[in-house]
Amino acid sequence: MQIGFYFDQTRCTGCGACQVACKDWHDLLAGPEKWMRILYTEKGKFPDVFVSYLVGPCFHCIDPVCIPACPVNAISKRKEDGIVVVDSQACLGSEACDFKCLKACPYDAPQFDQELGSKMQKCNFCLDRWAEEKLPVCVEACPTRALDAGSLQELESRYGQVREAEGFSYSKRTKPAVVFKPK
Amino acid sequence: MKSEGMSKDSGETKIVRTTSAFDCGGRCPIRLHVRDGVIIRVEGDDTAGPDEQLRACLRCRAYRKHIHHPDRLKYPLKRVGPKGAGEFDRISWDEAYNTIVEKLKYVKEKYGNSSIFLASGGGYLAALHNGASAMARLFNQIGGFSTSYGNVSSEGAVWACLTQYGSVMVGNSREDLLNSKLIILWGWDPARMISGTNTMYHVIKAREAGAKIISIDPRYTDSAVVLADEWVPIKPGTDTAVMASMAYVMIKEDLHDQAFLDKYTLGFDKFKDYVLGIEDGIEKTPAWAEAISGVPTVTIEQLAREYATTKPAALMDCQGPARSAIGEQYNRCAMTLCAMTGNVGRPGGSAGGGLMGIPVGHMFRASGIPAGKNPAEAGGPSVRGTLDLNLRLARRVHINKMHDAFLKGKKGGYPFDVKFLWSVANNHLNQLGDANKGARAYASLDFMVAPELFMTPTARYADIVLPVTSPAERNDLTRPWPSGPYYTHINQAIEPLGECKSDLDIATDLAERFGIKDFKPFTDEEYLRMFVEKNPETGPEVKDYEKFRREGVHRVKLPEPIVAFKEQIEDLENNPFPTPSGKIEIFSQRAADIENPEQVPPIPKYRRTKEDRFDPLTEKYPLQLISPHPKTRDHSSLYKVEWLQEVEPHRAWINSKDAEARGIEDNDEIYVFNDRGKIAIKAWVTERIIPSVISISEGTWYDPDEQGIDRGGCVNVLTSDDYSPGGAAILKTALVQVSKA
Repeated sequence: MQIGFYFDQTRCTGCGACQVACKDWHDLLAGPEKWMRILYTEKGKFPDVFVSYLVGPCFHCIDPVCIPACPVNAISKRKEDGIVVVDSQACLGSEACDFKCLKACPYDAPQFDQELGSKMQKCNFCLDRWAEEKLPVCVEACPTRALDAGSLQELESRYGQVREAEGFSYSKRTKPAVVFKPK
Repeated sequence: MKSEGMSKDSGETKIVRTTSAFDCGGRCPIRLHVRDGVIIRVEGDDTAGPDEQLRACLRCRAYRKHIHHPDRLKYPLKRVGPKGAGEFDRISWDEAYNTIVEKLKYVKEKYGNSSIFLASGGGYLAALHNGASAMARLFNQIGGFSTSYGNVSSEGAVWACLTQYGSVMVGNSREDLLNSKLIILWGWDPARMISGTNTMYHVIKAREAGAKIISIDPRYTDSAVVLADEWVPIKPGTDTAVMASMAYVMIKEDLHDQAFLDKYTLGFDKFKDYVLGIEDGIEKTPAWAEAISGVPTVTIEQLAREYATTKPAALMDCQGPARSAIGEQYNRCAMTLCAMTGNVGRPGGSAGGGLMGIPVGHMFRASGIPAGKNPAEAGGPSVRGTLDLNLRLARRVHINKMHDAFLKGKKGGYPFDVKFLWSVANNHLNQLGDANKGARAYASLDFMVAPELFMTPTARYADIVLPVTSPAERNDLTRPWPSGPYYTHINQAIEPLGECKSDLDIATDLAERFGIKDFKPFTDEEYLRMFVEKNPETGPEVKDYEKFRREGVHRVKLPEPIVAFKEQIEDLENNPFPTPSGKIEIFSQRAADIENPEQVPPIPKYRRTKEDRFDPLTEKYPLQLISPHPKTRDHSSLYKVEWLQEVEPHRAWINSKDAEARGIEDNDEIYVFNDRGKIAIKAWVTERIIPSVISISEGTWYDPDEQGIDRGGCVNVLTSDDYSPGGAAILKTALVQVSKA
């Protein structure tokens, strides 16, 4: 089984509830380490302006390029559900490997806090919640119900197979596990 | 290990169902995970399926960082440095109480009770531990006190609704939006300003059900980003002109609902005379309005036709644009358009008026501790329902003039000299107009007490600061702002931090020192149960108080969506509007009786004002300033929470045209200034704002440097402390200039 995310870009107001709920659940400090980010696009000239938001969790790619990029095999993909996890104990830290996983990832999913040499951490699909058959906290936090998650196959049958959205480009190499309703 | 750990949810964690009490339109059920006396996680509502859940926004998702913030005040303090410097020493509660009682007795004896001033705000919107009502009760029992009239948010809309409908319950329940074919968001940004939990979600659902949505706003808001088929940028303070010209188009093209107007309204002919120029010789044509508002003639014509011919249509005129120099006219004119299109009292329509309240679960109808009568205000005029501000201000000061009254007192024409200030559940220095004047006012006071959770810019001026518990530290009852329909229960999650006490407990302790018997005759539990069971609304509705308390929320099941004035429209004879005429008063005799037709016209009118975009002052200060709600704070509450700060940095929206003209690039440090003051802030260069307008969200904390430049970017350094003829705090009518820092 492969898990994945669904994101309805037409509903996202960029409010940040997902980002804050994620920091809360995973007890992250304020600062650069954000397992869920919100990406902003603005195009055009007044008054013909186009704006969209895009969520940025880890897309738990089907062929994650972060895994081979890691010099110490600290990243792995779980067989049972495809969640990409990192063993922070094994991780060398940002300085030692010069952010190899982050550089490899087309979606900037690997995260580091501001301390030198901090270990990589990232969205783990709220593993502890998933073990209790609950959805990731970002999904339950979304005030406009723009997010969903679960079995990618089920998400595809429910929402379709669109893999494009404003501000997103689908990597055929890594195959991110996400479907969209684009704006 | 924090990432993969499951240990957090061990057996020792208890889940507390509760809610916050911020000054916010939502009142969202949240579940606090508590371990070892600390809130370690926040989860949302789970008392319904995903679609029905009352989902909290980012603010309450960060709730624990507010409650457990390292800057929380935990001990009573006395000021030891100059006022405003923030230098305090820890003292005991005994010392604090002794100082306060001594000072109160002295002021009462020497200056009389009207010199005791109680200033309160929206900092704690719950029933029992409410500092404003607890202190009013105490002060009344020692002879009375002075206070302010009005609130900062909604007076323009309130005045307009009382004039037009004789009622402030002008809203439809949110589900009714799904009956609309056209929704006009006029100055309304529900994605950011939470006008009731799930409101934005309901507008999204309406859009997905096929409603067309138009946003009329100086900014391309996040609500417009998601919802709007069309964005109509408009210059601030010109909304009423555009509305009057929409009426012109409807009348000229015979698109208005004359039968509706004939049956349900009074005075449309007089409004028509104004619109057609019969009254004043100026036809309120779209070309006339274009010159005022910047909205193209053709856009206004289309808007008028579309609104008049799409049935039903909901004109949602928010309170924001009414927080301006003659803002009440905007809501009045919107309500008049609602009547002209026959949308009042009809499902999928709207009555306008900006308040959007429904009579189920409304904050106004909650029970609380009775304050009793105020002896210091005895003998004053009856103000109930009056439109005449002079009557309302006979014994009180308008809230936006409060600081002016502190400075000038009776010599300035105010009804009292303030010698003792109790400043609770507010951050007025920061949140009222003209913050620099506010700072001078607090510095001039003889004595001030501030019960607070944080050392706010206002509290820094206090002589005694008392540490107050947060809603996570006691039990209470809450309601959403105007739009339920549901009630919420605050359940205590943690013990009071440090030596914190609730405002009610503080008042009770003081009462004891004054020898007042039975100040608080019941326990918290008894009060809460009574507030639910004896309230005429919740009594019959909440059958099982214990269940309500356990679940933290009680939802009211409505057989059908509430539509304001549906009864009146269905059967006017038996259900007249609560106005003197029993009709919708497009012409108001009560307004006419005030005999100030320029400032208080009996029919809605566009009026030029001080600091509008045609004021000669624009030569010096060419940009109009607006100050919308922040999305990462509740006004100035939650300001300290870093998780929220990082979601949206505090920056001034500036159009690329205005930025280029001043050599400003995105993220540059800039100064925004006028004769009232100067703030330093970063620029956000964007196409999402109409040129010549600057937008700075309110609520960041005032922090002036030695030169008097506010490094905190508090927008009220730049706003005015005046009020409109209808009582609106004039916070959205201000001219400024911008330069690169």
